[in-house]
Amino acid sequence: MTIDGYCTIGVDREYDLTVDALLEQMDEAQVERAMIAPVDRCLAVSNETGNDLMLHAAGEHPDRLIPTCTANPWYGVGAVAEAERAIGEGARMLVLHPFVQGFMTNDELVWPLLETAAETHTPVYIHTGMPGNATPWQVVDLAERFSGLDLIIGHCGATDFWNDMVEAAKFSDQVYFESSLARPFSFSRYVEQVGSRKGMMGSYAPINGLVFEWDQMRKVLSEDIVAAVCGENLRRLLEKRGDL
Amino acid sequence: MIVDCHTHWGMVWEDRDQGDPSNWLKVLDQYGVDKAFLLGHYNLHRCDLAAEDNTRLADITRQAKDRFIPFGSVWPQMGKDAVSEARRCLEDLGMKGLKFHPWLQGFSTGDAVLGEICGIAGELNAPILFHDGTPCYSLPEQVAGLARRFPGTRFVLGHAGLLWSWRSALEALRVPNVWACLCGPHQRAIEILAREASSERLLWGTDFGFGFSDPIDYRLNLFLSAAIDEALKKRILGENPFRLFDF
Repeated sequence: MTIDGYCTIGVDREYDLTVDALLEQMDEAQVERAMIAPVDRCLAVSNETGNDLMLHAAGEHPDRLIPTCTANPWYGVGAVAEAERAIGEGARMLVLHPFVQGFMTNDELVWPLLETAAETHTPVYIHTGMPGNATPWQVVDLAERFSGLDLIIGHCGATDFWNDMVEAAKFSDQVYFESSLARPFSFSRYVEQVGSRKGMMGSYAPINGLVFEWDQMRKVLSEDIVAAVCGENLRRLLEKRGDL
Repeated sequence: MIVDCHTHWGMVWEDRDQGDPSNWLKVLDQYGVDKAFLLGHYNLHRCDLAAEDNTRLADITRQAKDRFIPFGSVWPQMGKDAVSEARRCLEDLGMKGLKFHPWLQGFSTGDAVLGEICGIAGELNAPILFHDGTPCYSLPEQVAGLARRFPGTRFVLGHAGLLWSWRSALEALRVPNVWACLCGPHQRAIEILAREASSERLLWGTDFGFGFSDPIDYRLNLFLSAAIDEALKKRILGENPFRLFDF
């Protein structure tokens, strides 16, 4: 199964991807499923609105779109309640964006949300690469505190923390890495260094062109690892909660 | 005409090819890239080898004068020696500009010697290309600060803010002597920069040469497939690079 590990649905500032446009691009790129996440504003403040949009879109296209959810940890118990609600209604991945949501990745503020994710076997995707508050070794800190929780280093720490990402992902069995913004010509090298069972293809459409990113990725991955990187690794994590 | 405004004569290339750019140029040929701003790597990585690398870049340029536009680098921590090496690059070696990587080289844009060199570059009509997009010494706003302090010198943001500071690069581009090379931001940021920034001060580049991996295929096609007016793409790829030196 091919899965795009990260796409953003919605229209706001630099985002302009509708559900129909995403499905069309997935068809063109021969991508079967896509994880969908809300725009930055809904990551930062309007969590419930964003989560409902994802759940609704995936409900309309259950064979193509897989909903994620988010909650800003600054909402405290409200954040946990919202994550529990969204996961209970079908969200398959928790998305955190420390830069946009305003916290440090390994801050205790986020622990209650991670407890929810761990209890429900929900993998956590973390946008990384922003110096100071979203780096790969901070993700390892979380992995050590929450054994059994799968954590995905979104963007491989690009630009400046790619070398940390390689060592961090090698260090922890729970830590995976997603390709978007890391660029296929670099990402393929990370896969070689860390191992093919941990890398995941994500386009981050519409910030990047979905079809272009998939074309470029397929150019650089060898035949023997395409299936794992382009969907099966992520599927393995997602199906800890049951079949997709 | 395509000019790649951000390439390096990388350490791995030097270690293997010993100052011979033929293999390096073949990669550019594969994509129809006509010319390249040639930056060093040893001179950014090793203070003790900077002058040697500057000389090497000049030698490489002589082997294919129509292909290379060389930029030298110096280390402000070297004080007067840095100033004299900057002059040697621009006055004796025929280099067209200077390149700094404050994060890698370890100095602040507030460094007094750097300031002196910025003034000299302005007097000699030599642009200065900075690595940018990385704290704590290489942020777009820090380069824009230099541009404000030295209005007679042209400054290039070598990465247009990379992935997380491109909005700061967009702000930096309000300063009239700041240029930006579209080498690092994602496609949507490139489209917004092309739409909202002063388009005559935008350049394109790939960072090719830092290692053996090939970023040109990706970065050229990323740019060509972006939602940018075709005439503007042409200017960014082939006209603006020459205007940078048109004082």
